[in-house]
Amino acid sequence: MSDHAVLLQGVTRTYGSGATEVAALRQVDHGFPRGGFTAVMGPSGSGKSTLLQCASGLDRPDSGAVRVAGQDITRLAENELAVLRRDRIGVIFQSFNLVPSLTAWQNVILPSRLARRRPDPAHVRGLLARVGLAGRERHRPAQLSGGQQQRVAIARALLGRPEVLFADEPTGALDRGTGRQVLALLREAVDEFGQTVVMVTHDPEAAVRADQVLFLTDGRIVDILDRPSTAQIGARLDGRR
Amino acid sequence: MISTLAWNNVRTNRLGLAASFAAVLLAAMLVSGSGLLVAGADTRDELSDIMGLLVLSAAVSGFVAVFVVAGTLSMHVLRQRRTWALLRSVGMTSRQVSRLITAEAMVVAVLASAAGCVLAVPYAALMAGFLRTTGLAAADVPVEMTTGPFILALVTGPGVTLPAARVAARKAIGVRPLEVLRESAAQRRLLPWPRAVVGAIALAGGIVLLWLVPQVKPVAAVPAGLGATMALCVGASALGPVALRVMGGALGALVAWIDPGAGMPVRASLVTQPRRAMSAASPVMLTVALACTFLFAVATGDAATGITRTGPSAWAAPMMVGSAVIYTVISVLNATAMTMAERTEEIRLLRTVGTGPRQLVRAVCWETLIVTSVGALLGTGIAAASLTALGKAATGEAWFAYSPLQYATLVLVCVASGLSGALAATWKVRHGPLLPGD
Repeated sequence: MSDHAVLLQGVTRTYGSGATEVAALRQVDHGFPRGGFTAVMGPSGSGKSTLLQCASGLDRPDSGAVRVAGQDITRLAENELAVLRRDRIGVIFQSFNLVPSLTAWQNVILPSRLARRRPDPAHVRGLLARVGLAGRERHRPAQLSGGQQQRVAIARALLGRPEVLFADEPTGALDRGTGRQVLALLREAVDEFGQTVVMVTHDPEAAVRADQVLFLTDGRIVDILDRPSTAQIGARLDGRR
Repeated sequence: MISTLAWNNVRTNRLGLAASFAAVLLAAMLVSGSGLLVAGADTRDELSDIMGLLVLSAAVSGFVAVFVVAGTLSMHVLRQRRTWALLRSVGMTSRQVSRLITAEAMVVAVLASAAGCVLAVPYAALMAGFLRTTGLAAADVPVEMTTGPFILALVTGPGVTLPAARVAARKAIGVRPLEVLRESAAQRRLLPWPRAVVGAIALAGGIVLLWLVPQVKPVAAVPAGLGATMALCVGASALGPVALRVMGGALGALVAWIDPGAGMPVRASLVTQPRRAMSAASPVMLTVALACTFLFAVATGDAATGITRTGPSAWAAPMMVGSAVIYTVISVLNATAMTMAERTEEIRLLRTVGTGPRQLVRAVCWETLIVTSVGALLGTGIAAASLTALGKAATGEAWFAYSPLQYATLVLVCVASGLSGALAATWKVRHGPLLPGD
């Protein structure tokens, strides 16, 4: 078993064809360290979202391999991919993370129920309390604020103890204060549970929480900074423009 | 300005409006085609029976057309919601958007009605031949070419489209510019009071008609019975969400127990969104209620007067109902497709948290099965009530004749169209790329 939760090997993804062909990712090689918090940054159109989509099995690269816990997920059939998403990968988006008709509790246990498992109610209750949602178990998404919805999504991702938790602009739709709480939760998941987190963001204040920041331009990783300051991140982003 | 925009929208959106076009075209064709036959049979006494049947079937077509066209237009409006939001964001008022949608619908209605008039002539000739060879008509039915039926069709097409377009437009302007981007799942009220009042009045009217059926003259009994069915259908579709929440909740709990992964979202969606589910159950209810009333009223009348039909004649009434059923199948297909299309994001989300392809198919099928079953049950209840009244009128006893085979076929056709509509509408999101947003 490698010390990488997710390993990208020569990943290339192009959209369209012929004259309209756009290369979103070009031969990307990178290993996301187990138990690490990595932020992916870059200008819009740099391929950062495509990177996350390919790494999380939401999209298939045109060539190259994506290994989650050593297994190449680009070769999996649709059914096997579903099981992978259910059991080994957690995803959080900017918005629309929860099934509107299900309560917070039901949203959290959904992946387990899909696997015909019955999660321990005490554990679910504890997890919801951990993300600050004690007493809101029976609320539906429409009755929760954006930040609360995001925290339900985090609880759902953490319940299954996934190999890796992907977050695509998780604070993009939130105000600053609420965004900070969500980032603090992701950070705690890394520090306390040893969770691996990969987060795409355009916000230097969010990226500064990560152990490592990747910079993408034109589908290539152009720089990697370890534990940078906000000023370093800002300078790096400005220098590229 | 609005009319130019409407014309251009229709031209660039031909495929999206095809269902509405087909629905209006069929309504215009059925109405004017039946009209041509009625005009031909006008002066002949031996054809008065069949004339009544034709007038009734044309009236039923017109009634059903409002629902079918409303359904197909709503689907169009839903698909184009980004366009409406865009127009609103560049300063179009909600009233202007509403007028634009009405204008688009009227363009389609006029074109479709004209096409329906053209097709009415071969349709009338075909029906005349059918009525003669099956022996349903006592003599040859001449097809008389008069302008009346065509004028009627040209009025009916836009006439049924206008209220339908109003309903659809109200849905479009209910969408605020930003809501499109982040779909709010705020729960709608189960039964807003105008809807409750309309439902109660229609239901009361239906019950009065039921009571009247055995009292009126025999000639008026069948129209009164059909009227009762129509009124009860309107009432039940208005008050249906309440029934659906109770019945859907119970059936959903059963499914969630049998198939926990796929069943949990099904049950939750039926309990939290019974109005959405009812819009898919309504056309099934309408089809089953009207077709059963029409079909088994003939059978009950025959049984009461001791007529036994054999050979082609035995199939005449079922076949006439069949052509009407084909029409309502459009609305069943459309309605289930629409309720599923509204949930593209939700299905995508279910996939990202690990719902397998087969689980997804099962979830879609379970939900559709429950919704169509509730619709079929309500429709059966309404038809049974009307038929009992008709039976009482014909024989003095609370009794009616029915054919289990024809009934089962009807329900199966509804369930099958519901399932195909739902599976087809979700095919893209079940198999397509799993990227968030668009």
